Amino acid sequence: MSKKVLRLSLLVVVLVSMMLSSIQCAPQPQATEAPPPPPTEPAAPAEPAAPAAPTEPAAPAEPAAPTEPAAPAKSYDGVELTLASMTDQYVQAFRYLIPKFKEQTGINITMDELGYVDLYQKLTADFVGHTAQYDLMTVDIVWSGEYAVNKYTLPLNDFMERDKDALMMDDILPVMWTQGEYQGTYAAFPLGGYANVLNYRKDVFESKGLKPPTTQEELLETAKALNDPANDFYGIALLGAGSAGAQDYMAFVQQHGGSILDKDGKVAVNTEENVKILEFFGSLFAYAPPGGADYWWDQRETAFREGKVAMMEGWSISRNDYEDPEMSKVVGKVDITYAPVSKGMEPKYGFGGWGIGINADSEKVKQEAAWEFIKWLASPDVQKEWVLHRGPPLRTSTMQDPAIVEKLPWMPIMLESFQKGDGDYRPRIPQYSIIQDALGTHVNAFLVGKVSAKEALDAAQAQIEQNWQ
Amino acid sequence: MQKGTVDMKRKQLEKILLTALSILVFILFMIPIYWLVTTSLKYGRDAFTLPPQWFFFDATLKNFRVELENTKTLMFIKNSLIITVGATSLSLLLGVPAGYAIARAKSKLLNMSSFFFLILLMVPPVAMLIPFYLIMRDIGLIGSYWAVIILDTVFDASFVVWMMRSYFKDVPKEMEEAALVDGASHFTAFLQVALPLSIPGIVSSALYCIIYTWNDFLFALMLTSPKTKTIPLGILASFSAVDVSWGRMAALSVFAIIPAVIISLFLNRYFVQGLTMGATKG
Amino acid sequence: MNNRLVTVYRRFLAGDGAYFWMLFPLLIFVAVIAVYPLLFSFGISFYKYRLTDPNQVRTFIGLANYLRSANDPIVIGSIKTTLIFVGGTVTLEIILGLAIALLLAAETRMAHLIRSFLLMPMALPPLVVGLVWKALYNVDFGVIPYYVKLLGVNPGRGPLVESGIAMPAVILVDVWQWTPLIMFIFLAGLKSLPSEPYEAAIVDGASRLQSFIYITLPLLKPTFLVALLLRTMQSFKVFDIIYATTAGGPGTETTVLNFQIYKVGMTFFDMGYAAALANILLFIVGILSVIYVMVLERQQL
Repeated sequence: MSKKVLRLSLLVVVLVSMMLSSIQCAPQPQATEAPPPPPTEPAAPAEPAAPAAPTEPAAPAEPAAPTEPAAPAKSYDGVELTLASMTDQYVQAFRYLIPKFKEQTGINITMDELGYVDLYQKLTADFVGHTAQYDLMTVDIVWSGEYAVNKYTLPLNDFMERDKDALMMDDILPVMWTQGEYQGTYAAFPLGGYANVLNYRKDVFESKGLKPPTTQEELLETAKALNDPANDFYGIALLGAGSAGAQDYMAFVQQHGGSILDKDGKVAVNTEENVKILEFFGSLFAYAPPGGADYWWDQRETAFREGKVAMMEGWSISRNDYEDPEMSKVVGKVDITYAPVSKGMEPKYGFGGWGIGINADSEKVKQEAAWEFIKWLASPDVQKEWVLHRGPPLRTSTMQDPAIVEKLPWMPIMLESFQKGDGDYRPRIPQYSIIQDALGTHVNAFLVGKVSAKEALDAAQAQIEQNWQ
Repeated sequence: MQKGTVDMKRKQLEKILLTALSILVFILFMIPIYWLVTTSLKYGRDAFTLPPQWFFFDATLKNFRVELENTKTLMFIKNSLIITVGATSLSLLLGVPAGYAIARAKSKLLNMSSFFFLILLMVPPVAMLIPFYLIMRDIGLIGSYWAVIILDTVFDASFVVWMMRSYFKDVPKEMEEAALVDGASHFTAFLQVALPLSIPGIVSSALYCIIYTWNDFLFALMLTSPKTKTIPLGILASFSAVDVSWGRMAALSVFAIIPAVIISLFLNRYFVQGLTMGATKG
Repeated sequence: MNNRLVTVYRRFLAGDGAYFWMLFPLLIFVAVIAVYPLLFSFGISFYKYRLTDPNQVRTFIGLANYLRSANDPIVIGSIKTTLIFVGGTVTLEIILGLAIALLLAAETRMAHLIRSFLLMPMALPPLVVGLVWKALYNVDFGVIPYYVKLLGVNPGRGPLVESGIAMPAVILVDVWQWTPLIMFIFLAGLKSLPSEPYEAAIVDGASRLQSFIYITLPLLKPTFLVALLLRTMQSFKVFDIIYATTAGGPGTETTVLNFQIYKVGMTFFDMGYAAALANILLFIVGILSVIYVMVLERQQL
């Protein structure tokens, strides 16, 4: 009897596992389809896949004729790429555009959406393991140095030189290149810029008869004036936890004219000036929501969208979200202005954002196909779609396009912020992640009142020096 | 007579008190699970309404519909199933005969090897993960189902050995000895006599393997690729700057707790046996 | 030569040949998959080996990684944090586990039903447990601070953020998940108690409290030891719950050693140093597990 039961259950296990493995195998044939022959002329692709490109119904039997120079875009038909993307606003633009790119070129891109910390870990693991799981990846501006020096991503210099006419570089502001460029190596191509701006609730400011602050000192006063904890309404939302807290602190260092590196490029986080700035940063938290010291980017956004705070300094990329009634309770009540700097300081605005890079370990064909995607994405027509679907703007012409400005009226402020943008306030050196981790831990310890500002930065400095390689 | 009624009354009072206490324990332990399940049935806007809506809320299956229409959710579930079935089968295949051998062998060395597996069970997973990652990289298995299955099997199989050794020790040897006298090989005696008698023990071991593998997060985090991600990783990915949806996160979590619920409520006899026997029996 | 080998083999296995071959596949598997990585990790801990180093050099540096850990305030702190976490969780779980076991030991239908529901927490994915509790603890919209506020207590920045509260809050999550395990171990222990001493105690007119203190507790000592060691070892390895709730914060207040190893290894890819730290943890847990094995073996006799 029980022997029967055992046999039966074994049989079931075997059957189930076979079924599952066959499910898993099903899509495989497509993926392993004879790799398309590499283009005979690598320099051939003239224009980034014009809409004229014939949209072939998937015809796997038809061999791509490599000798035919007429349809260069088609030669990538069937190439499978994997993109690792940060789950920032622009994933929505990727979701929208990737199918269109496939229609035009036959290149299929699978996107893996990852949080900030996971993305960095998975990518580093992929690079140091040479496993080439991802062909394309979004690259934070601060990773540029590390990626360039360690040669994790393919240097794009040759591609860019080859296609410089199609790319129309004049249309891209110099500051944009801080996303990816490091000591002459282009580790990534800019996806678009983020400007540090001040978002504020114009309805609240109007009702109190206040003007948005133009200096850091005014920012503190205004936050204090608008703070109303009895009604669960607070002056300002900030970032306090982990890498997010470290980055927000660095943004304030920039706005006060401080610096993380000294004149010789050595890390000097515990200077007297930086300690003062940290104390200022901490004093702002008195007018932030109670859980504020634990905020990551998403929680800060939620607080603002829920209408719990009067002001928020943050990346311009989020601006669109506040007008979306599905996710925002402050539709039509928000305005945007330049991020205030310390009194008397020459205005300079924090610049950030993401680039897109190609894995140095990927196969040659995939690298070429990935570059096609980057080029296509950067083309002026696609850029308009990209920006309208919440991608960050890259081209000056897009930001000045009347049709775009009509829909996204804050574009001029962003453009001005970019023109005075500082992309290096977070040092883009290969050891950046060590700085960020140390600051993240110790700034947070200060914010929750465990240590003084001086102790926190001394400990961060010691930790950075110890881990320096 | 009077003393008797006082005693009766005291006993009754005590009984009521103990019942109330038991129910309190029950409620305290169930609140987080109840919260998770109800959140999965709420609209996003209601998930964090205060005061909390414990019983009366606008119920909807929308979160589940959205999740099930998402091809990625189905892929997470499929991957979790493949890895769980794979690791559990492999662990039983390797662990059950080994446990039997240790229980029956006379040699001291073989007997002692069970402690080796016990100690292996205690190794912090992180200690294993780092070198294992490097090795899997060198043989090119990172991102495949195998990397996770193999590493989970180390821990699962060690438990199975320990558990099955205890179990086989309690199974009387006489029938096997009779079979051996009749000329059966050791292996036949194991397959045809001992194994059928130990189905409950195997079920207990299998349940443990299923739970452990299904719940694993650390190994899957570092060893899977976008195509082999499991449910816990999917849950983690549902937090982002663009769509913070607790309702959908909760719906996905409900899929993740299905084995736990089934096993606790319907197979609890076996599960308890596995837990306590593995821990206490030498 | 060959013959001698056969003799050695025979003597060594003392007629257990068939059993040896049943064990063999698993032994090979474990040797390749587990033992080799552990030896590798032992070896690499004497090297400076950083995967993100562009030149990918391995330099032999002797005990430098171990010495570095002795001067690393975060590591020293994380060892202390680990001890607090282990001490807190194990003590609470044993006290509560025993209490609940006594409460639910009766063979009534209700006790039975509650017991099967109590199995659920420990079968849940620890990651989900962590995320659920993180939501419950959230100061802006979570349930727990809401009721705390109703009681007139200011929840401050919230349980997981407030310095001094974060650790107890994380301990509570672990206690919620693992107290039932201790309860089941004690239930098994209670069931195996002999009845004679109690009968004698009733004859002697001992109260129930007395018989609990003088009979039950001493008889439960072996069970108690097993539960203590088992949970101590598991508690040293906590990872998922920390990852999901506090990620080691505020500051480094809940950064346990296991989490720090993960950070050093999988964020900085400083493999040599991570291996050294892992070996320290392995050493601590190793000692504990040897004690555990000795206790189990004594019980067996």
